[in-house]
Amino acid sequence: MPLLPETNNLGFDRENMVKMRDVCKTYAGGVVALDHFSLDVRRGEVLVIIGPSGAGKSTLLRCLNGLELIDSGSIVIDGIPLDKNEANQLAIRRKIGMVFQSFNLFPHLSVQENINLAQRLVQKKSPAQANTITRDLLHRVGVLDKAMRYPDELSGGQQQRVAIARALALYPKIMLFDEATSALDPEMIGEVLDVMRNLAAEGMTMLVVSHEMGFAREVSDRVVFMEEGRKVEEAASAKFFTQPQQARTREFLSQIL
Amino acid sequence: MYAKRLSLSLLDGLLLLLLAGVLAFLGYRVSVQLNYQWNWGAIPQFLFRYDAESGRWMANYLTQGLLTTLRLSLWASLLALVFGFAVALARISNSLYLRLLARTFTELMRNLPPLVIIFLFYYFLADQLVFLTGSGRIDADSHPWLTRLSTIFLAPPAQIAPFVSALITLAVFESAYVAEIVRAGILSIYRGQWEACHALGLSRWQSLRYVILPQTLRRMMPPLAGQLVSLIKDSSIVSVIAIQELTYQGSQLMASTYLTFEVWLTVAAMYLLLTFPCSILVERLNQRLNRLQERSA
Repeated sequence: MPLLPETNNLGFDRENMVKMRDVCKTYAGGVVALDHFSLDVRRGEVLVIIGPSGAGKSTLLRCLNGLELIDSGSIVIDGIPLDKNEANQLAIRRKIGMVFQSFNLFPHLSVQENINLAQRLVQKKSPAQANTITRDLLHRVGVLDKAMRYPDELSGGQQQRVAIARALALYPKIMLFDEATSALDPEMIGEVLDVMRNLAAEGMTMLVVSHEMGFAREVSDRVVFMEEGRKVEEAASAKFFTQPQQARTREFLSQIL
Repeated sequence: MYAKRLSLSLLDGLLLLLLAGVLAFLGYRVSVQLNYQWNWGAIPQFLFRYDAESGRWMANYLTQGLLTTLRLSLWASLLALVFGFAVALARISNSLYLRLLARTFTELMRNLPPLVIIFLFYYFLADQLVFLTGSGRIDADSHPWLTRLSTIFLAPPAQIAPFVSALITLAVFESAYVAEIVRAGILSIYRGQWEACHALGLSRWQSLRYVILPQTLRRMMPPLAGQLVSLIKDSSIVSVIAIQELTYQGSQLMASTYLTFEVWLTVAAMYLLLTFPCSILVERLNQRLNRLQERSA
């Protein structure tokens, strides 16, 4: 008799944080964003997803935490299937932290309140408990001195670091980065990548949509190149950059490197 | 920026002259051609009268009408805000049923003439509403304090039934406009804010309560306040169902005294007394919010 029969039925194994099978997603306008897409991400793995714009990279991330609903296929996050069950959906949303290209900080709340909000509302923490965690995270991302400031008083790099801290405050098991550095001035990209690098070193499972090839090469374990909703190539990052197998991958890399 | 100097050009002078000419002509037509006998002296007694019995000055028809308009507008505004918010939330709800219901309501209210709505509500619903509230059955003798309270805050017990139904009608009708303002305010917030809430695991209600509404309230304030000013003006239409507010008192007074121009000019001035300060308040509010926004930017 297995100890966890229902999870075994789902083909759950402890190492896989993300299990996507044959996921299809077509937008209302008829644009195919994901076309029978399958992907496994192991615990603690850093996966970088690259590809031309419109390849479905953002959609991939957004389907994982339920920002977009999939048309067919299956997604299992840390053993929980993403289905119509609302309890499951909520459990998955709480396991996943997300960082957006446009930061999406709450402009009417101070930095500290931004990070406290979900801790208070979702985790029902006391103000003191939330403050302790918030200040610790702000210290880690290097913006503790801005705790009482409002988002629009911060630089883009600082805002994005606050956004990362806000997502981390809920102790997610997976972090999604949707072009987290694309809206930043060049001199601020480094400070955000540093925070992401530290996070990877601490063993966080990360899915990163990015155009930062240096980061992909240095930090990621695996790279997925996708186009038109399909996986073109998937390889360990060292191999991906030195010996790409597909002609399309080589072409893409030569364009952006 | 340099402060703009107030200066009158020749054209300004001509326009002023023209305006004065038109006014003088109208005055001449009224007093000479219509042979109208102006009698402003008769008006003050309809504002306040001296009660010989109690030896005190008391509010007379017009002032009482003004107070009724004020009470009517105040309660209808509060009710319209509450109901309007509820309708707006239904309009952006996840449930198709609620959305359709709210949509039907706002479209009906916005596409029917207010007068027709007033009559419909009054003749079809007023009796039911009054029966439900039971306010038609307040016994003046047995509850003197209740009578006083009702007279101060709503209307004298005898008139409370029509007053409450007029109040509800006005509130329901205005709530459709409030709902549109609230809905537009909520929709004006960038989608990324909802997505951030979703990603943080906030429920729809929590997102609205703690993130979306606090940001949009500021933007909604000026149009909402403007809508409340127009509610004061719109309250005049309930005179058709014999609510004794300012316009009704004005028409009654005109019918009995024939002081047409004096009465309506006075009524107009009294409405301005209510609405103009509100408009100025709205303006101030706007400026303050703009300054706040500039400072935070």
